[in-house]
Amino acid sequence: MFKAILVAIHEVRIYLQDKGDLAFSLLLPVVTFALMYGAFGGEMEFHGTAHIVNQDPGGSYSVRLLEQLEEMDSVDLELLSREEADGKLERSDLLMVIYIPEDFSAKLVSGEQTQLLFRQRGNGGQEGQIVASLVRGLAERMNQEFTVLSQASSSLAGREISRERIEIATQKFLEREQEHPLVGVTEETMGSSPDLVNQFLPGVVTMFVLFAITLGAQAIVQERRLGTLERLLTTRLSVGQLFFGKFLAGISRGFLQTLILLGLSYIVLQLFTPLAFIECLVIALVFAAAASALGLIIASIARTEDQATWIAVFLTMSMVMTGGTFFEISEGSVLYTISRVSLNTYANDAFKTIIAQGGSLTDVGMELGVLAGVAVVGLTISRVLFKVMPGGR
Amino acid sequence: MPEEYLVAQELHKSFNEQKAVDGVSFTIYRGEIFGLLGPNGAGKTTAIRMMSTVLEPDRGDVIIGGHSVRREADAVRSQIGVCPQELALYEDLSALDNLVFFGRMAGMSGKEARAQAMARLELMGLSERAKGKVDKFSGGMKRRVNLAVGLMGHPEMLFLDEPTVGVDPQSRNNIYETIEGLRDGGMTILYTTHYMEEADRLCDRVAIMDGGKIIALDTPYELRSQIGEPERVTLEDVFLKLTGRSLRD
Repeated sequence: MFKAILVAIHEVRIYLQDKGDLAFSLLLPVVTFALMYGAFGGEMEFHGTAHIVNQDPGGSYSVRLLEQLEEMDSVDLELLSREEADGKLERSDLLMVIYIPEDFSAKLVSGEQTQLLFRQRGNGGQEGQIVASLVRGLAERMNQEFTVLSQASSSLAGREISRERIEIATQKFLEREQEHPLVGVTEETMGSSPDLVNQFLPGVVTMFVLFAITLGAQAIVQERRLGTLERLLTTRLSVGQLFFGKFLAGISRGFLQTLILLGLSYIVLQLFTPLAFIECLVIALVFAAAASALGLIIASIARTEDQATWIAVFLTMSMVMTGGTFFEISEGSVLYTISRVSLNTYANDAFKTIIAQGGSLTDVGMELGVLAGVAVVGLTISRVLFKVMPGGR
Repeated sequence: MPEEYLVAQELHKSFNEQKAVDGVSFTIYRGEIFGLLGPNGAGKTTAIRMMSTVLEPDRGDVIIGGHSVRREADAVRSQIGVCPQELALYEDLSALDNLVFFGRMAGMSGKEARAQAMARLELMGLSERAKGKVDKFSGGMKRRVNLAVGLMGHPEMLFLDEPTVGVDPQSRNNIYETIEGLRDGGMTILYTTHYMEEADRLCDRVAIMDGGKIIALDTPYELRSQIGEPERVTLEDVFLKLTGRSLRD
């Protein structure tokens, strides 16, 4: 065990000596983090554009509807002519346009029913659906106002109160109700905030750890190229100790990059609670161990550095693509079944549970078990492969 | 009667049906420098790799210091030092770090490895460059570091596989003196080289290998005597007579 640690320290020292490699591998997480922060850091809530064709431009209720939309922080308003809107929908430049009919205000004044028209391509897209839902909310509010006004008017009928006074009183009552609703909603975020950084961070972290497979895959080939492998095999270092040392070195390298990425997320974005941060580090450590073991399996069979690199790149990219790193895989699909053999599926799920869903290590026991199992089995297989491959021992 | 230190017994090794070593047997006595000579592809390096526990023989065995390389490889490894034909160094590290690392792998403590590393570098005339990165060293300096690494630990036997390839006369002379000093200190050395005058100068006995077999084994003087007046013929004349003048791959 002690010699294995010496080998690991030695390996990490060599890694730290190569300033180019070091700068690249340590700066990469920082640059990735900066890009991720720049791209998603400020965007914590939904922000979309409502594309409106107002065919009732002089109507008081259409103007009121647009004013209420403009008051919303999450929505920008873009007014279009009917021709413009139809053309953009036709070309799929827009997926959803809301049409206010020309008799909108007139019908409402006379107490008749009127319709807002939502025209959309397909399901209108995610943004379109959210904007449509916000507009439906405003229409619902207008409906409530009309109901209250009409009930107040009919109750006060026969008394000498002008309709204007009833309208003002009703409006004030509704505003008060809006400020202090009977049924209110309180939002409380557990563990972390559900923003885009949280959604993408697990994918970025797992990708970095997977890159460690490539470095691990070079472990034995490089020793062979330098001639130091044979020399080491004539010392009192056993092959098992050599492999375990390389395994520990692989964990250190994979973990170091992850530590930087998670550390920056913790310090700058304050994405996690201190406990969640530590839990993420535990997952990163176990995942780095599994990746290091996979790297060693490649190292045992590769004869040249090119072979090692290409096998590792192929494996890494396959796992990134099939493991749902940057997109959701729906349960029951073929890709879902394939993703079960991809290592980063388990790491990704574990990170998402902690980072995006505010879970704890007890919720990711199965994922940690799979990763730890891969680490142990991978290390054993790599040792056996080294023994049976030509020139092995 | 000199003490037998290394006994090779009917060593065989083939690669893809190609016989690299074909029934090699010889004995090296404690404290002698034993030369293993032969043209390219004669099987010298394969034989050394088997004796130094890197390769397992297909048949036969080697007993080093009373231990079998087949059954007691760990015990053998604790007694040997190896200086391979190719440089086997971590070029990103300093000479000192290389020596200390291999010293630790040979079972020394950190303090002991550091002290011995400095002593070995002093011996090789490299103490002033101890902390220099190996990749900045000249070919001769790298060769000397390569030899110094082989001396780390407390080896009783040293395998030197062409340690002077590509080395300038000054470095070569330093290596010769070091090897002679080691022999005088009681170390047993197996030495391979393509330079016959080197073998003539250093080796107490010489075995000539060709086609995986030993075709001659004696002192340089006796080998020279076999083809003429020993003062007038060279070891190279003996070598060419025994192995022929045709070119080898």
